[in-house]
Amino acid sequence: MKMEDMPLSGPDNTRLEALVHDIYSELVEDACLGLCFEVHRAVKQGYFFLDETDQESMKEFEIVDQPGVDIFGQVYNQWKNKECECPNCKRLIAASRFAPHLEKCLGMGRNSSRIANRRLASNNNMSKSESDQEDNDDLNDNDWSYGAEKKAAKKRKSDKNQNSPRRSKSLKHKNGELGSSVSSEPYKFNYNTGISYETLGPDEVRSLLTTQCGVISEHTKKMCTRSQRCPQHTDEQRRAVRVFLLGPSAPALPDADAVVESDSFDIPDGQTLMSRLQWEDSPDISPTDSASSKASTNHSDSRRPKKKKRPSLGLNSGGGGGGGGGSGGLAGGSSSSSSSQSNINLSTKKKRPKLSAPSISSIYDDLN
Amino acid sequence: MSKESRLRASVNQKLTEMGERERLKELLRAKLTECGWKDQMKANCKAVIKEKGLEHVTVEDLVVDITPKGRALVPDSVKKELLHRIRAFLAQHAT
Repeated sequence: MKMEDMPLSGPDNTRLEALVHDIYSELVEDACLGLCFEVHRAVKQGYFFLDETDQESMKEFEIVDQPGVDIFGQVYNQWKNKECECPNCKRLIAASRFAPHLEKCLGMGRNSSRIANRRLASNNNMSKSESDQEDNDDLNDNDWSYGAEKKAAKKRKSDKNQNSPRRSKSLKHKNGELGSSVSSEPYKFNYNTGISYETLGPDEVRSLLTTQCGVISEHTKKMCTRSQRCPQHTDEQRRAVRVFLLGPSAPALPDADAVVESDSFDIPDGQTLMSRLQWEDSPDISPTDSASSKASTNHSDSRRPKKKKRPSLGLNSGGGGGGGGGSGGLAGGSSSSSSSQSNINLSTKKKRPKLSAPSISSIYDDLN
Repeated sequence: MSKESRLRASVNQKLTEMGERERLKELLRAKLTECGWKDQMKANCKAVIKEKGLEHVTVEDLVVDITPKGRALVPDSVKKELLHRIRAFLAQHAT
């Protein structure tokens, strides 16, 4: 049905407005009625008064409608401007900064110990740089962090090992090596955080070392958790750590060539080695030997301190073959060079590959 | 005057047919709840119930009490908005 036109003249306008108001009233009445039915049903069904309790509780938990306060009556930023006095240092600290300040002030909590350790390390570096003159020349050549590590290492070692003979040469080692003293007594470092070998039992240490690099860092005193091939540390360091932690019968690194036991030879320090070998040198080594072969045979000899079965034989043969003397010497040299070869091979199996390489090549050079 | 009544009838019919009536109802209910009118009315109901007694209160009691109060207590903003919408509807569909 079509609507008739609604001209917006005066009386019609009022009629329209009246109509609008009527419609509005109808809607409002509808809403009121709806509410009444709802309430009546709730009353008759018995759930109308469920949200009420005794008068006392009602008053206690009444909704608060004051400015500056939430509906529970709590103030929002009550502690913003308050200051608390620290019981430790007696300073006035802002409330929101109080907890972190306490943590540092009392020295408890995770962060504070880390910061303290770091500060200790840097402080040692500072103090040591003034007092220690001996190593200054060496350390001046290196960049700052390297020097810092070594100084920190020296300070720690000097603190904790007054009995063992202190060797200044030990500081020339890279980060991670533990010291070159001839005695193999374990240093009692107090590594307090991280993977500290101190807290691990021998089995745990062994299992850890078979999977991880394990090299103990000097300035954090933690075992390196990277893989066996981690580029930061050398195999020498790894071997040294295993010797240090597990004793002379330490199992070899997984990348070694099937060596079950390792001799308890010390960290290879070139100079101490050379000094030890001077008197072990056989007088038969001819002066015409090339320096490399001499050094290699010296090394091979040093690598077998306990297996004294055929030390001089190998050395003599090496020397003889290298000298290239008379026919007798040559014949003896050829036969014994093979044995020496086997000797060298036996010894190289025990050493790390890098040391074996030069000796093997030098033997072949001698043969040629 | 039957013209007017016919007019009214047609307007109402249109309102219902187009669903505008329902929409307006919902809108009003939502707005009344939002502004607290409903809670106010419920409090009044509680008073009535307490007066008449929980067991014997009837719908009539409530209606008689609530309707005039409810009509009066609707906030102006809500009233204005609804009137505006109805006028708009009429302007749009009544010509």
